[in-house]
Amino acid sequence: MLKAKIFCAISAVLLVSACGEKPQTVSVKPGQSAAKPDDKPYQNDQFKGNKVEWEKTLRARADNQNEYKRVN
Amino acid sequence: MARMKFICDAERCIECNGCVTACKNEHDVPWGVNRRRVVTLNDGIVGAERSISVACMHCSDAPCKAVCPVNCFYTTDDGVVLHDKDLCIGCGYCFYACPFGAPQFPQAGAFGLRGKMDKCTFCAGGPEKDNTKGEIEKYGRNRLAEGKLPACAEMCSTKALLAGDGDVLSDIYRERVMRRGRGGDLWGHATAYGVKAATSQQPAPTQQKS
Repeated sequence: MLKAKIFCAISAVLLVSACGEKPQTVSVKPGQSAAKPDDKPYQNDQFKGNKVEWEKTLRARADNQNEYKRVN
Repeated sequence: MARMKFICDAERCIECNGCVTACKNEHDVPWGVNRRRVVTLNDGIVGAERSISVACMHCSDAPCKAVCPVNCFYTTDDGVVLHDKDLCIGCGYCFYACPFGAPQFPQAGAFGLRGKMDKCTFCAGGPEKDNTKGEIEKYGRNRLAEGKLPACAEMCSTKALLAGDGDVLSDIYRERVMRRGRGGDLWGHATAYGVKAATSQQPAPTQQKS
């Protein structure tokens, strides 16, 4: 009798386990990105949060693409 | 800082595919995915053949971003359009929306199963800590965080492909056009957007004296 009760109890738990379904939809708000927040490219050991220095470095790098500014 | 942009000068592109190779190598892009490719029109026609290097153009009003059902795209402060691969469901809407064919989908399994979208990141990685294993595996190397420009442009042997702040690129291109005296319009713009090229680029009609 006890075995039957335990069996019924376990069966009942297993039967209703599928009822706890989690939501599978992504909450989307129009115009707002759901992506994880990204670090700024100057927030690292090299630039230490110095945006001006980072911009200066990139500008110099971009200027290097102009071969007319090089010594030929 | 203005906005990060690419421009490709078709007067200079020699279809060497150095940009494509540089990108593949820099980011360990899987087989079958090309974040950048070179398109050639009028192939073999003397005087009319033009090549142009194409990747994500990091649109100011990106259509991929507009159609994404899970809103996984975001634009950085520098105008680079990136996406979160942890959210991407690989639906392919962005591929149909993009006029440049930039979004790529790796084959993720048997029966042509489509994986998460992969595209040019302007060498700016993605929403992971910069240049960590997680970022490099998902998005490739983050050169912007190292103070460098995209590998494709820096590798370009003829400097046809330029990358960087839009203002700087304009200055470089303007000086180039002034020196060579032609090619003021970026070639392909009229083809892509269906507008007539500026009349200043066409040879002036000769005056008939009567």
